[in-house]
Amino acid sequence: MRFNAASIWLAAGAAVFLAAGLSDRAQQLPVGHATDFTTISYFEPPHDQQVKMKLTGAEAQPLPGGLLDVKQLRVETFGLDGKTQVVVRAPQCTYAPLDGVANSAGHMELQSGDGKFHVQGEGFLWRQTASSLTISNHVQTVIDMPGAALNGT
Amino acid sequence: MKKIIIILMAGWCGLAVAQMNTPLSLRINAPAARPQGPTQINSDAADFDLNIHQGIYRGHVLVVDPSVRLTCEWLVVDLPQGGEHLSHVVAVTNVVVDFTNQNGEKYHVTSAKAVYDYKVVNTVTNETVTFTGKPVVESATSTIYSEPMVWDRARNRFSFTEPTMISHDTGTNGPAPKLF
Repeated sequence: MRFNAASIWLAAGAAVFLAAGLSDRAQQLPVGHATDFTTISYFEPPHDQQVKMKLTGAEAQPLPGGLLDVKQLRVETFGLDGKTQVVVRAPQCTYAPLDGVANSAGHMELQSGDGKFHVQGEGFLWRQTASSLTISNHVQTVIDMPGAALNGT
Repeated sequence: MKKIIIILMAGWCGLAVAQMNTPLSLRINAPAARPQGPTQINSDAADFDLNIHQGIYRGHVLVVDPSVRLTCEWLVVDLPQGGEHLSHVVAVTNVVVDFTNQNGEKYHVTSAKAVYDYKVVNTVTNETVTFTGKPVVESATSTIYSEPMVWDRARNRFSFTEPTMISHDTGTNGPAPKLF
């Protein structure tokens, strides 16, 4: 499955991205920042009214190359039934909105919607369109699952 | 296919080496409730594909649950959904499994590959670990080589194919040692 081509930006707070420094292409440093922002992706038709992924951040600071330095990243994915599948959290990351890629050398956590699968590690790469996550270091997973049923002899 | 079942009572004195051409099944212990608790997986790195609900752990992989400890270099896990039990796990390269049965007897298994499968069909639980790639299982009393080697966790039983068995001398005049 693929995401819709366009993601919709919802700015709950002030979202102002102003390009500056155009005289120096290598130093196109946008100024301004967004707070409490959300970006949403939908399933493809015929489920194009249903949210597939929601990405939120407490703060986004523009970086060169159209990147964003995001604080308190939270990515939530949903199934067609509307239930949360996974939630990914990171205190800080670099997000490329056009590519749908987020990465960081710092800490991250992933938890399943039912809370029974939890992963954390250091350093990650999140590919939004592929719904894939790579954790680079110190991966720790805890799976809380029901006990195995045992047969009689 | 004829199977021989030896149930916790085979006594061996001195060093014995036996090669068998028939499948062999050894019961480790009577099935009993296993200790409950979460399963932990640690590794150097990991990749998760959330579309197919699969995780691939790479480098110094350590799996610990209340009754088993597993190490390997590469582990593929079909991620459970909706609180389900783990259903399929593949461990590859330098696989080492250690566990202790309800009597406190320790087992040590090594192989190149191990495949865990869990399935419940018509209320019957099938939970197996299939070891391939020169698998060896060691206990205090014996060492068994078999290709493949299947650990039936639901029934606490090992199944061997054309196994080679080495029984260890305990060096005492006490009760005959158990073969698993």
